[in-house]
Order: sequence, then C-alpha cells, then structure tokens
Amino acid sequence: MLAAFPARAQVYSGYRQFDGEHKHQVSAFLSGGSNVVTGFFLGQAGTYTYHFNPRWSISGGQQIQFFKQVYSLDVMGTYRIPIGKKTNVYIDGRVLFNRYQQWSVNETILNLSGYLETNYIDLRWGWSFVSYFKTNVKDSYKDYTDASYNEPLVMTFGFGVNIRPRSNPWNLGLFIRNYDQFYYENWNINWGLRFHATLTPQMKIYSEFNVRPAGSLSQLATRYETSLKVGLRYVW
Amino acid sequence: MFGSMKKTFIISLVIAAAALLSACDKVSPAGILMAGTAVEDRVKMSYKFYKDYLDEQVVLAVDKKDYSFIVGADSHLTTDPGRLDEMLAIGLNKDDLFYAHLGDLADTKPEYYFTLDSLLREAKDRYVEKHYKKINDYEYVPRENPIAEQGIPYEMITFPFFPVVGNHDITHNGWALWSNIFHSSFYEIDVLVVDPENIDIKVDHLIFLDSASGTLGKTQIDLINQGVLDGKYSDGSSIYRYTFVFSHTNIFRPQFFEFASTFTREETFFLLDQFEEWNVTGVFLGHVHTWDERDFNGVHYITMDSMCEKNNPEPGNYLIRVNVGEDGVELEPVKMNYTPKKKK
Repeated sequence: MLAAFPARAQVYSGYRQFDGEHKHQVSAFLSGGSNVVTGFFLGQAGTYTYHFNPRWSISGGQQIQFFKQVYSLDVMGTYRIPIGKKTNVYIDGRVLFNRYQQWSVNETILNLSGYLETNYIDLRWGWSFVSYFKTNVKDSYKDYTDASYNEPLVMTFGFGVNIRPRSNPWNLGLFIRNYDQFYYENWNINWGLRFHATLTPQMKIYSEFNVRPAGSLSQLATRYETSLKVGLRYVW
Repeated sequence: MFGSMKKTFIISLVIAAAALLSACDKVSPAGILMAGTAVEDRVKMSYKFYKDYLDEQVVLAVDKKDYSFIVGADSHLTTDPGRLDEMLAIGLNKDDLFYAHLGDLADTKPEYYFTLDSLLREAKDRYVEKHYKKINDYEYVPRENPIAEQGIPYEMITFPFFPVVGNHDITHNGWALWSNIFHSSFYEIDVLVVDPENIDIKVDHLIFLDSASGTLGKTQIDLINQGVLDGKYSDGSSIYRYTFVFSHTNIFRPQFFEFASTFTREETFFLLDQFEEWNVTGVFLGHVHTWDERDFNGVHYITMDSMCEKNNPEPGNYLIRVNVGEDGVELEPVKMNYTPKKKK
C-alpha cells in the first residue's frame, strides 16, 4: 500500500536548497491508505520545480486519488533567504485547487507561509485562505440559498525533527503539522515518520508514514486516516 | 556544539512528554495525539440501546398543528447548575415539546454528573407534575387527555431532554458517566404532529449524531450510508415534513482564531452532502462557543454560543426556541438571565 507524500520540500528538510548545478527537479510518489469516510484509497502525485537562481524557484504539481476521487493542481513560488551556512528561511506563496468529485465540491486554497530549515529541525508557519463551493446545486435552491463558503483564515503550522544532519545522504525524522501536500486543515493535526535516502547523485527515494487523526484539539484524537507515501526525486 | 544540541533536544523531549502526560479537569493534552474513548465503541453502544429500547418507544405526539422546542449548547456544568436549571425551567414554563442539548453538558468529573443527574430528576418531577395526573400510587395519565390513556408508571414517562455527547463530556473517559444517564448519543426520534380537526398526521424527524471526537467514526458513517436514518417511501420521496439534526462539532468556523477542531476536509463535504440528501431543515451545532448562522445548499446551519455561566457570565440570548408550524419554521432567541453569584 503506497501513499501520498509531498515530494516538495515543505514536509521535510534536505530537498529544498538549490545545489547550484541542477535547475530542474521532478518528484513523484505513489500513495495509499485508509480513510474513515472514503475507505481504502490509492493515488499518485507529481511535482516539477525550476530553480531560476539560488533564491527564486517555481513549481507546479498534480494529484489524482482514485478511490477518494480527489483531483488536485497547484502552483507555488518560493523565495529563499539564507541565514548562515546551514539555515534557510523560505517564503512560499501557493495556489491549490482540489476537486472532491464524489461530493461535487471545488476547493481553492491560497497559502502564504514561511519555512525555517535548520540542520536538524524545520518549522512552518503561515496562513491559508480556503474557499469551496458545490457544483451540483438543485435548481430549486439556486434562487434563495448559497452553496459556497469562504472560511476564515486558517493557520498553517508544522514542526519536524531529523536524527541526522540535513546534509547526510539518508535521514529519518518525525513531523507534526496541520497540513499535507494537497490539503490544509484547521486544528486537525497529523503526525508521523519520514525517511529519505540518496540512490544516485541525482536521485533520491523518500517515504512518509502519516497518521491523520480527527479531533486533535477536541483532545479526543480519533483514527481518521492512515497513509503511506513512497516516491522518487530526480534532478538534472 | 553537538553535545549542547543533544542536551537541548533531550530537555525539549522531556518537556513535551511532561506536557502531554499532565492533565487537569478540563484539559487532556495527551488527547491531542491519541484518545481514551473511542467513537466506534460509543456508537455501537448507542445504536444497540436505540434499537433495543428507543426505536419504538420514543415518539412524541402533539394534538395541535404547531409546537416548539428549545436548543442549548455547551453548558459545561461543574459546581453551579444555574444556567442548565434555567434552561429546564424556560422549556417547562413555555410548554416546549422537548429540549435538545448539543453536548458538553458537564465537564468530566463524577460529582458534576451527580449534580446533573439530580437536576434532571428534579426537572422530570416538575414536568410530570405539570403534564400528568396521578391516578393511583403508581400510575399517571396525561392531563390533556386523562380519559383515553391507560395509566403509566413514573419510570415509563419520558422526560423529553435529548442530548448528544460533547468532547468535554468524555475527555477523561467520561462516557461511562454520560451513558449511565443518557445511554445513547446516536439516535433518531419521530415527532408525530396530529391535527384532530383535519384528521391529519405529519411526521417530523429529529436526528442526533455523535461528533464529540471530531469525526462520526467508521461505524456511524457506515450506518448512515446503510440508510438507518433515512425515511423514504418506495418512490424515493421523504416521509418527513421537517428534519432537524443535532450534534456537537461545528462545521462552519465563526472566526479565524479558535482552538477547537472541526471536521476534516472529506468529512465536512460528506456531511454537507448528507444533510442535503436528508432534506434537512435545520442543523444545530455547538462546540466553538460562538454564534454563527448561515444557509448552505438549502440547509440552515446554526452554531450556538455557550450557555455556560463561566464562558458567558452576563445575561444573554444563549438559547434558541424553534417554532414549528404548518407554514414553516421560525427561530426565536431566548434570553437567559442567570448570573453566577460572585464570591466574596
């Protein structure tokens, strides 16, 4: 059972900084798991990143979750601020579109967040604007009811820690956060284990085991979704 | 450098572990990552009790076209039962047909539930005294219809206080306390509206969902998908005139900054779809202690403020009376006046 992992660096250290040589990066993963509402799910996602220079980069991605019937597209622009030799701050601006097919919902998310990357730990903090609407509104409702909702701003936060320095060829770490590559939650915190290893100078394998409970801040965290993601990253 | 980093890391882990393992009456930090009371077990117990005891018995009938009911949320009863007592008195004085409570009735401590149990017993005594007439040592008949009805014992009279469980009711494995009084947090009730003049019966539908854990859980979602709460004729049309849903966790967030979990993405969209499928008239939710009211896809959603005297010590409109009639449903804010006594 494979699953969805943010091939992009936003979920673990060691991937984000331009190495000065390879301007192109592609990462792709298979994902799968079990969700209380949708049951078993299986999908794939891929992201392309282009580094203009050591400071600026842009990326675009897609996701198709077959059983969940969730389809996603996103674009993200990033500005990197180096602090010393081992620490970076990234400012990420992102637009994400999700189609929840089985409930006929289109969701658009604008996210602006900062990502601090040190040798062992990483932190993310920012805000999301989330808007969604139903696309199958009955004709009889259309004259008098709304079928769209703009959520109040949603805080984005994440924390990760690795057992090895970021430059190590492999690493293992823990994370806790309220988002994943293709969703942003309110106070539902997911957590898990992450891993990556260098296969060749241009290719890495990565994986992530993600526990996504419901009701975290109700202090009754309850099984909601468990997933596994396995992917490859290639630069040239 | 690495030595100090490791030391800092270990200290951080010890502090985090201490925070997670500590707890007080209202807060259980460990519950952020893992829960002590499972929604699956609660729903299985609730559904079993509903099928065995509530399914046939709890049907409310009114001999008129219109009726009303009263809704409150998040009373967080501790040592001062003033506000909950006021809610019970308001419903009795205005002859509301039933009470719906949206969870977080009491914070989890045995003595709070003893207080709650006593409060409800006293309220039932007042309710029976007002609406029933004692015909012998053991049996009562309704005052409105004293001739036709057979006498029923006190224990068989249903005091129409219908709650759902909230997260604070069960934070410290409090389901044992809550279920000992109310037994079920996933059930439905039909309201039969009898119009004797036109010999007409309408049926309204009350659905109570357990969302205390921030998810309905697999068992509850499976039961909903199996259609156990549906009520449809063979042609697909609904047998119900109005359907009302009562649950704890809110769907819509009234403000941007609040420390309360709402439903996850998929479950939010599942519920919005399901309520529309049930042709729901009104959904009543609590949890965030902030008022919000909106329409979404033909369904009216109300998120209620907390009626707890600690959260809202000043008098205010913390209850809603729902007036149900042939021509529609109207909401009426109901003011609560009780204020806690100031400690000298």
